[in-house]
Order: sequence, then structure tokens, then C-alpha cells
Amino acid sequence: MSRDTHPPTDARRRAAGGGQGRRGRRGRALEGAERGPGAKQPGNGGGARSPRVSRMASAPTSKYNSHSLENESVKRTSRDGVNRDLSETVPRLPGETRITDKEVIYICPFNGPIKGRVYITNYRLYLRSLETDSALILDVPLGVISRIEKMGGATSRGENSYGLDITCKDMRNLRFALKQEGHSRRDMFDILTRYAFPLAHSLPIFAFLNEEKFNVDGWTVYNPVEEYRRQGLPNHHWRITFINKCYELCDTYPALLVVPYRASDDDLRRVATFRSRNRIPVLSWIHPENKTVIVRCSQPLVGMSGKRNKDDEKYLDVIRETNRQISKLTIYDARPNVNAVANKATGGGYESDDAYHNAELFFLDIHNIHVMRESLKKVKDIVYPNVEESHWLSSLESTHWLEHIKLVLTGAIQVADKVSSGKSSVLVHCSDGWDRTAQLTSLAMLMLDSFYRSIEGFEILVQKEWISFGHKFASRIGHGDKNHADADRSPIFLQFIDCVWQMSKQFPTAFEFNERFLITILDHLYSCRFGTFLYNCESARERQKVTERTVSLWSLINSNKDKFKNPFYTKEINRVLYPVASMRHLELWVNYYIRWNPRIKQQQPNPVEQRYVELLALRDEYIQRLEELQLAGSAKLAEPSTSPAGPSPMMPHVHTHF
Amino acid sequence: MEFSDLIRTGRAQAKLLRGPEAPPLRGTLCLTGHHLLLSPGPQATSELWLLLLRSVDSIEKRVASDSGTITLRCKDLRVLQLEIEGVEASLDIARSIEALSSLESVITSFPFFYRPKGLRLGDAWHFHPPERYYKRVARETNAWRLSEVNEDFSVCPSYPRAVIVPRSVDDGALARSARFRQGGRFPVLSYHHAPSGTVLVRSSQPLTGPQKRRCAEDEELLRAVLLGARPGARGFIVDTRSSQAAKQARMTGGGTEAKAAYPGWKRLHRPLERGQPLQESFVRLVEACGDLQQSTDSWLRRLEGCCWLAHVKEALSTACLAAQGMEREGACILVHGAEGTDSTLLVTSLAQLILDPLSRTMAGFQELVEREWIQAGHPFQLRCAHSAFSHARSKHEAPTFLLFLDCVWQLGRQFPLSLEFGEGLLLALFEHAYASPFGTFLCNSEKERCLCEVRTRTHSLWSGLNQPKERRKLRNPLYAPNPLAIWPSVELQSLRLWQGLFLRWIRPPEPSEVAWEKVWQIVTDKEKTKLSQPTVSASEPQL
Repeated sequence: MSRDTHPPTDARRRAAGGGQGRRGRRGRALEGAERGPGAKQPGNGGGARSPRVSRMASAPTSKYNSHSLENESVKRTSRDGVNRDLSETVPRLPGETRITDKEVIYICPFNGPIKGRVYITNYRLYLRSLETDSALILDVPLGVISRIEKMGGATSRGENSYGLDITCKDMRNLRFALKQEGHSRRDMFDILTRYAFPLAHSLPIFAFLNEEKFNVDGWTVYNPVEEYRRQGLPNHHWRITFINKCYELCDTYPALLVVPYRASDDDLRRVATFRSRNRIPVLSWIHPENKTVIVRCSQPLVGMSGKRNKDDEKYLDVIRETNRQISKLTIYDARPNVNAVANKATGGGYESDDAYHNAELFFLDIHNIHVMRESLKKVKDIVYPNVEESHWLSSLESTHWLEHIKLVLTGAIQVADKVSSGKSSVLVHCSDGWDRTAQLTSLAMLMLDSFYRSIEGFEILVQKEWISFGHKFASRIGHGDKNHADADRSPIFLQFIDCVWQMSKQFPTAFEFNERFLITILDHLYSCRFGTFLYNCESARERQKVTERTVSLWSLINSNKDKFKNPFYTKEINRVLYPVASMRHLELWVNYYIRWNPRIKQQQPNPVEQRYVELLALRDEYIQRLEELQLAGSAKLAEPSTSPAGPSPMMPHVHTHF
Repeated sequence: MEFSDLIRTGRAQAKLLRGPEAPPLRGTLCLTGHHLLLSPGPQATSELWLLLLRSVDSIEKRVASDSGTITLRCKDLRVLQLEIEGVEASLDIARSIEALSSLESVITSFPFFYRPKGLRLGDAWHFHPPERYYKRVARETNAWRLSEVNEDFSVCPSYPRAVIVPRSVDDGALARSARFRQGGRFPVLSYHHAPSGTVLVRSSQPLTGPQKRRCAEDEELLRAVLLGARPGARGFIVDTRSSQAAKQARMTGGGTEAKAAYPGWKRLHRPLERGQPLQESFVRLVEACGDLQQSTDSWLRRLEGCCWLAHVKEALSTACLAAQGMEREGACILVHGAEGTDSTLLVTSLAQLILDPLSRTMAGFQELVEREWIQAGHPFQLRCAHSAFSHARSKHEAPTFLLFLDCVWQLGRQFPLSLEFGEGLLLALFEHAYASPFGTFLCNSEKERCLCEVRTRTHSLWSGLNQPKERRKLRNPLYAPNPLAIWPSVELQSLRLWQGLFLRWIRPPEPSEVAWEKVWQIVTDKEKTKLSQPTVSASEPQL
């Protein structure tokens, strides 16, 4: 098969390159494209240029029109924590078993067909190029697969038209061409289907087979009692209740809830009858100073007849009264007004003015899971495999993805602003209170509470507002499930992470974690290597003993935290972050959504990360020296400013990190 | 002429609104020949507020019964509002500002009066003479020489006194070649790429005309360019016009190099937007950015409609083409459009940034701007007379230099470690190109600057910028010297709107300066640790 047949877009781009002909088809040395000689090994700095650097200097890869970054971009898919030996072995996790291997042709949308050998285990699909001039490696956890289709039939003519087309949940498709003889396609199809969709075959999800060991146990990161204690709870107005210990009050809520002190457990039971799926209003977050709160729940069961429930009305008033200064409770209904009205037809609805005198209700116009799913589908259409070129910005606009991001952020800003101003406590709900509600409460908390902007704080936020409060990860992601067209699937959590990324762009020094941290979370949202995102709610996780039988994603991250740190993080207490949610200040997360396309990929990650790591190390060193100096200083009772090596005026700033 | 003739009312009570972020300022408004001052009352704590009148791009006045409102739209895209007591006073002040901000005379402009403390006249003007760059070229090759054929600016009024040309071509031949090129801009060296031994050359279009004239000396000159690289070297002529436009230019006396006349050279057409359409694109973009009322869901479509990012993409990819021709194909490159003073310079300067690590240093970049824009005869005075707001538009304005700065910003975004300077320098250059107390961007050519004695009677921007107190504002704290070429991704998905410039006055939540200040702290803390250790830091490349 000829490597010179490029897809038409490639040919076009080559023409754009001047039509001057030969150029390295597939590039080599890629890293180093932006690195100086001194930047890498600190020990080797300044001196003579290493031969490696000069070699790279002579063959840097043309970025603007090369099709050569495949290696690089594919290597980046590698999952962390796996020791990849670039010899003949295939990476394997403890507990991972090899099922089969096969020679295939990988139809790379960027570089054309590449002959390779694919290895399938019960965890991953791994492909290594068999061609000498390509070091291509694909390493894809089977959990990422949403759909496997056969392409071409026995009568198919044409090169590479017979094989498998695999749709992934992470914005890409993989195509493999196979030989038509000997059931080779059927075998591969059957094996992939079996291990990518274990639920349909009564097989366990890989997380239950994974025997990885980490020196940190991620399951201990979140302890609800400790987290509420950090918030200063319980206090005079709020108590911790175990009424849901056995998930009897609400099977999709966590066991431990924080409710108004003045509401008895019986009150809670009565309120539960009036809230969709018994998801009663409970506390998410309390402001440390003004004591206003963010409370979350599901919609009230008002229905067509406009039912009322005295207990619910009273309960909301009790919430309002936990803070004496407040005359009105603010209710944010995340839905568009019309949807909320329409929900009455199915028994739901919203709090009317008549029934809830001391509350003000606002709609936040955020659309439902189906709209979000379709929107992301449109994003994929314009970025994979080919990026829309002629009308990029208007195509992007017509996906409405950024507009949805804007609405979610705007809603969260309103929640945060209300609470931070101390004018009102806030109650947030949508329909069931596990999608848009989780987005709004968690983003508002991220804006309000700098603790959640640290690595562990963010893990706690996700663990609390998303996992424990029953965001239906299993349904939204479809772990191990073959039903790719399931209407329950929706990128709600991805949208949340995107919002976090937008915030981190606008406040480059406010978050302890970096972009890789967010991408790693998203990768393992699908991978099924960890138990963190499995199942729909805490009760199901408890039944399956997930914490005993699987490893937590936070184990992986926390045992290797440096990789995920933002070197520019400066810890600030009590600073409320209000991102600008105007379209002008939002951008498409190219490094995530278009990361598979070698032409688009920014050259940032590697060298910049390297420099960041350097900075981090040096900063730590500096702080250590400072501490030594301070120790010495305090021993001598000398004024630090008189010492020539004493801390600079900026010191207090840096010092606050620790 | 006396400025006082133009000042109808010298002072008035006024309130100044500076956008949503800054608090309004009240005080006495004073008008001088070059400035608008607002002196707050004695009880106020804030300092004197000062605006260079030259930086006012458009002025709009509205009067009420006993006061007037003046809206000043500045060349740096700021919008200011003055509420002035007294109808008569406000009208007078508006008219005075109008008259004073649009004075044509160079030698009565502010740079000729600006005498800041701590700077000496004449400083920094000697930083980047053509001789200096020639020294570097001479170390790398001896195929080129410094010619003073243009000593008295008679051969080419828009070239500097000294230019670098092939050693084998004598001054007489240069003069004859100059007569064959528009505006006398015969091919001269722009950049010597030492690793490949190839060169980047620039000129204006040949005056072939409808009769397809030829010029033996011009052909000889380009032959010498190839021979100077190596025997058998090829060349590409990057014409920044479409082939259609280049053909049409023959009708008005211009044209392109005929294939047969220039063996070894191959012509490529890469049309770049220039002049009026580019200015309109800029105006539309600024309008879109400032229009906060528009329904937000059409922002991206509107951004696309401005085409500004498409121009950025075209400029960068043409520069990549030129750079690639040298670095990859080992070919010499000649760039020209029509006059050779706009898109030509855009391409040659960007190609150098991509290829040449020295041009990415603080000093090297200033040298590049000085050599490839100012001395190369980009007509700053004509191009930057007005910015995006002015209604009085002559046809000479074009934001070519701004487009260059935007492209550099895109490079810096994609290679955050490789440029020694930061966004601050680019913003400063944008501001100063349009209105400045320094003389650097005055006039349209070296000849005019000589006539006006700019070098002896005004301060150089470089001496202003290179003061230690500016360091943090202008430098990139993450810079690490990178000896390689930096090939940007020019796909639209990789390009961004330069928010720091176009949305500068519609602030993001955390001004980038605040973020960078924190980064600086971390980095300088780091340097302190480094200094206290006996390690050798990587030496910075010297020019």
C-alpha cells in the first residue's frame, strides 16, 4: 500500500506548502521543537550542545503543514502509571490479561494506512506499527469504545474497505482494515465486543480485575464528616443526619446529609414525598462568614394540578431562617422556563410564588442532557477526522457548545455571587437534581472556596457533589455497556470539566492543578481502569463494594502529584473567582477536543511542562532554603530583612503556599 | 505656528470616565499643545492624568443645556468620556483637541519636545545601524558587501544609507537595477540563514510594464544572489500578490520577473491582504469587540466575518513558506509585492523570527523591528496616521505593522518559552507606532528622518523601553533560549483572537499583568536561588 496517497486535505495542504515537493513524510524528533539546549537536563545546562540537540536542530519538523506528528500525538494517549517499554513488549497492568493479537492495517486519518499488529487484552487495544519508518503506537483502553461496526462486506472492492470502524467516547474513531479470509474480522469483532462491553456478556468491568498498587489510597481522600467539619458543620443551625444511612429516604443520595437543625427526620420524610425521587433540599456548602448556604435538591412534584405541600414550603422557610438577615430564599431552577412548565405534565414543576412567599425563583436556561449530547456530537463532526476549515468559527458557533458552557458558567456565577454577597441563601435544582444541579453547585463552590482549587480539594469536590450525590455516571457514560444510542448518555461531566478549564484559563494562578490533571480525569472517566466513576449512586457502589474491590483514580493522581501541578499556583484564601462568561472570553478547549489531530496540536505541552517542572522544583528548593533561613533567623532573633540573603519583599506571597 | 492659536479654551471643570473598571476622575481639565491634562482637586489623592493628544483617533461631542460630553476614541483602542461644565467650553475644547490631534507637521510633534529625566538625547539611536547587521553577515559569509550607493538617498528614497548587496555587483549596477524597480527598491539582503547558507532578499516589483521590459543589471543581481549561496542554488520569488493582480500591474508599469529572464528562480504567488481591505478588517474587528450589546450568540460568526484571523493565518503561512524554502529546500527567497514596503516586510520579518533564534531575544527583536520595518522604509506616518475609529480616513492607513505584532503574539502563544519578550513589548510597540513621545516611529523613511533630524532631536523608543524599570512589563519570565526554528501551526483552530490587545479595555477578570506578576515572582525567586549557587547559567547568545 502506498504511503504517498494522502487524503485530499493533505494534498491541499502540501500545495499550500509551496508545492516544492519532498519533505519528510513522517517526522521524527518532535520534542525539542521548542526547547532550548539548556532547558532540559539541569545538570547538562549551559555547556556544549548535546549531539541530540544539534541533530534535532537539523531536522525539526515543519509544524504548519506536516502530517508527521502522529507518533507524538498518539503517544500522548498513553495512560499514566504504565511503564512502557518500547521494546517488543506490550504494556500490561497487574491483572490485565492478553486475549489475542492480529495483523491489521490501521487507517490513520492523518497519515494514511499503516500496517501494524494489534494486541487486545481485557483492558486495552494496543497497536504497534510494523513499518520501519513509523513508530506509531495506539494505546486505547477498551472502556473508551462506544460502538464497533463492521465496514465493507464480502463483495467489497477497493483497498482497505473491509474491516472495523470503532467509535470512541473521547472524540475519535479508529478504523482497521483486515484481510477478508479466515474469519479474521469476525474474531476481532467478537473479542472486542466482549471485552469492550463486558456488561452485555456477564463479564466484570476491568476495574474489578485491576491489581495495581499505589502508595496512596485515593478512597480515603473524601470523608464527608471531615469535609463538613472543614466547612464548620454541624453548627447551631445545621445538623448532620444519618436518616439515609441505608439509603431508605433517597436511594440516590449519600448516606450522610446536612439539613437544618430545626427540621426533624420526620419532616425530611414528608418533604421527600414532594420532591422528585425523594431528593430533598440538603446543604452543599456554607459561607464561612456570612453563613448563607447553597442547598441542592430535585424539582417539586407540583404536577398539572399545581399541588402544594405545606411541609416542603415550611422546610424551605426553615432553610431561609437559618440565617436571620435573609428575607428571601433564592431558588435557581437550572432549566429554561418552558421546560420547567412542561415538566408539570409529568408530575414535576417548580416552586410557585403563591406557595413559597419567601422565595424568589429564577430560571437559568440551561438545556437538558439531550441537547448537550447533540451539541457535542456536532463538535465532533467539525473536528474529527477532518477539521472544518472554510468556516471554522461559524461552524463552531453552530454547534452551540460554547454557548452552553456560557450558560452553565453564568448560572454558577449567579449562585456564587448571591451567596458571597450574603444577601440570600440559594437553592438549586433542575429536574432530578443530578446533572445541571451538580454542575451549578460544584462550579459555584469552586468559585467561592479556594480549598476546592487545590488538587485534593478538587477531588473532594468531584467526590462529593458528583459521585456521592448520584450523578448517574454509569448511565451518562455507559461503562461497559454496548447500547451506544442510549438516550441517557450525555457529556454533562465533560461539560463541567470544560467549565473548570475555562476558569483555569482565566485565572492562571488560582488552581493547583494543570490541564493534564483535567484531561487525565476525563480519560479515566471512560477507561474503566478505576472504580471512581462506576455506577450511578453511592448505594449501588456500596452494594458492589467498589471501594474494597477497585482502585481509586485519586490513588494514581495523588501518588504522582507533581505531574499534575500548576507551577504558577499561588494559594489565596477567601478570594472569590468570577470568570467572564462572555463568548469573547471563552474558547474551544483545543488541547482536548482536537488533541488527536497532529496538525492542530499546540506544541506547548512537552517543553512547557518540562520548564514548569523545573520551576516547581526550584520553587520548592527556594522555599526550603527560606524555611532554613527563617529557622536560623528565629534562633538568632535577627530581623530577616537585615540578612543579605533574607527573604525578599515578595516572600510572604510565596510563603503562603505552604 | 503657535499652538496657542489652536487652543480656544485652555481649561474647564470636567469629569473623566475611563470605562467600567476605573473610577471616574474629577478635576480641572487643561489643554496644552500636546496634551490633555486632568488635575484633580486639592483634596483628591489621585495623580495628574495625562493624555497625548496625538493618540486621539476620533472625537465625538454632545451638548446638554449646561454641559457637554466628549467621547475620545484613542488609537490604542481605549474609549474615554469627558463630561465638561459649560456648553461653550466643551465645544471649544472639542474643537481644539480635534485640531491639535491631527497636526501634520513632524517637527512640531511632541517627540521634539519630550525630554524625560534619566535619558540622554542621542542614546540608543546607534543601537541598530545597518553596519551592525552586516558585521554579523560578514562573519557568516563573504558573498555580501555593504554598499553606500544610497548614501544621499538618491538611488532609493525609502532605503537607508547603507544596504547589503551581493559582493560581485557594483554600485553602478545597483543604481541601474534600482531604476527597474518601483520606488528604486532594488533587491537587498534581508536575512542570511547561516545553517543552510541561503538568503532572504526583498525588493519592490520590477517595472516590466506592458512591453515586458528587462534589465540586465537586475537579472545579474539576482543571479549573483544564487551564486553567493552556492553554485546551482535555486531561488523562489514569493510575490505577495495574486498572479492575476501581478499581471494587471503591468498595465500601470509594474509587473513580475519573467521566467526566462531569471534562470534558477521560480515564482510563487501568495496573495496577502493589504491597504484598504486590511484597514477595514481591523475597523470591523474593533467594532465587533466594542459592541457589547450585540446578541452574544453571533460573536464567533462576526469574528469570522472580520477576516482578521484569516489575515493572520495567511501572513504566518506565507512566512512559513519563505522560511521553509530556505531551511528545508536550501533555496534563496526573494519577497516582494508591489511597493515592497508592507506585506513584503511582514513576510521577511516573520520568516526571520521563525528561523533565527537571535531575533527572538529582546535585543534581537528590537533590532529586527528597527532593520526590517523602520529602516526598511515601512511608511509608519502614513500607515499609522489613524487607528480603527477615525472617520477622516485617507487611503494610506493600513494596520500592517499591527498584523505583524499579532502574528508574533501568536508565535509567542504557541511557543511560550521561545521569545524573550512578552506581550507587554508587543502592546508597547503597537501604542508607540500610532502615537508616541519617542521619535522612533516618526516619518516614513530614513530620508525623512534625516531631514527632520529625528535622531538628534528626539529620544529613541529603545532607550525608553530598555530602562530597568520596564523589564518586568516587557520580558517573558519563562524564556529559555531555543536554537531551533519554531514552526507554528497556522490552522485557524490554533490561532486566537489577541485578547490582550483587542479586548484590552474590556477586561478579563484577572488582568494578565497580575498573573504575569505572580509568574515573575516565582521566576525571580528561582533566579535568586540560582544566583546563590555556583552554577553556570546558560549564556545568552550575543548579537
